[in-house]
Amino acid sequence: MHELGVVMEVVKTVQRFAKENGVTQIDTIVLQIGELSSMIPRYVHECYPAAVDGTELDQTKLKIEIIPANALCKNCQQVFNIMKNRSICPECESPEWGLLSGREFTIKEIVAC
Amino acid sequence: MGVFKVLEIKEGVFENNDRQADLLRKELKQRGLFLLNLMSSPGSGKTTTLVNTLNRLKEEMKIGVMEADIDSDVDAHTIAKQGCKVIQLHTGGMCHLDAEMTRQGLDGLESGELDLAILENVGNLVCPAEFDTGAVKNAMILSVPEGDDKPLKYPLMFSICDVLLINKIDVLEHFDFDLDAVRERATKLNPNLKVIPISARTGEGIDEWVRWLCQEVKQWQVEA
Repeated sequence: MHELGVVMEVVKTVQRFAKENGVTQIDTIVLQIGELSSMIPRYVHECYPAAVDGTELDQTKLKIEIIPANALCKNCQQVFNIMKNRSICPECESPEWGLLSGREFTIKEIVAC
Repeated sequence: MGVFKVLEIKEGVFENNDRQADLLRKELKQRGLFLLNLMSSPGSGKTTTLVNTLNRLKEEMKIGVMEADIDSDVDAHTIAKQGCKVIQLHTGGMCHLDAEMTRQGLDGLESGELDLAILENVGNLVCPAEFDTGAVKNAMILSVPEGDDKPLKYPLMFSICDVLLINKIDVLEHFDFDLDAVRERATKLNPNLKVIPISARTGEGIDEWVRWLCQEVKQWQVEA
């Protein structure tokens, strides 16, 4: 599965961060996934237990924040969600826009001590 | 037990791998070793194309091949018959190779004296596109039976490649495959993409591909 290899990359980054920052116990990992990212949040959740199995992150919780695919219309400056509006500005129907967010796949933070 | 608090990381998931890949590329430059990452779906003719390429180039330069697969070593045996250095990398179920695994592969290949190392990545058009292996150039093969809609379905793969080989053009007449449409769709995603139609079976187009590769290797070594 595509998501598994990528979530294992998340585990590696968090392990490195924990080591560098003297973190001893991790409760939750918070990821940000854009609507246009190639990661499907449901699959990320499903493969998470397999990715953390046998690591220090075993038993940690996973939280995913979805970042909307928002764009700025180049014609009327309206900000709109391109997924919900089929890539056309709902105000002026212009197809010309610049993407503001939605491609993210980021480890936002961890809850730890 | 301490008090739990929120620690900000704010790091893109691919950032660590991207750093490793850049580091590997820098080292390859110092050594004058060219690494080619070859990607495609399963069954597109990667190994046959590779055999053809090796036969044309093995007198001219020292070449090593890394075969990445989830399991088995059938491809490595085929390549070894060509008299080239080859190692088999098992990804253990993973659908791609990352920069660290590529580095281990190069170590295993004892790549000290090589001019060209070719990584035959896992057959897959999704994950390998997201993980920079540290290669100098990325090549992909799309074969005629797969269909001309693939640039539309796997845009990232077509965006990150330097060269696209369209393989099995000897059977073009039997398929509804529009070569011009592929060209247009792929170069729309990636204006710098070089497209070379080939047939690994008949050898058509292989000259142009080998010429491109040869030139890239020499250029890399001159700059080293």
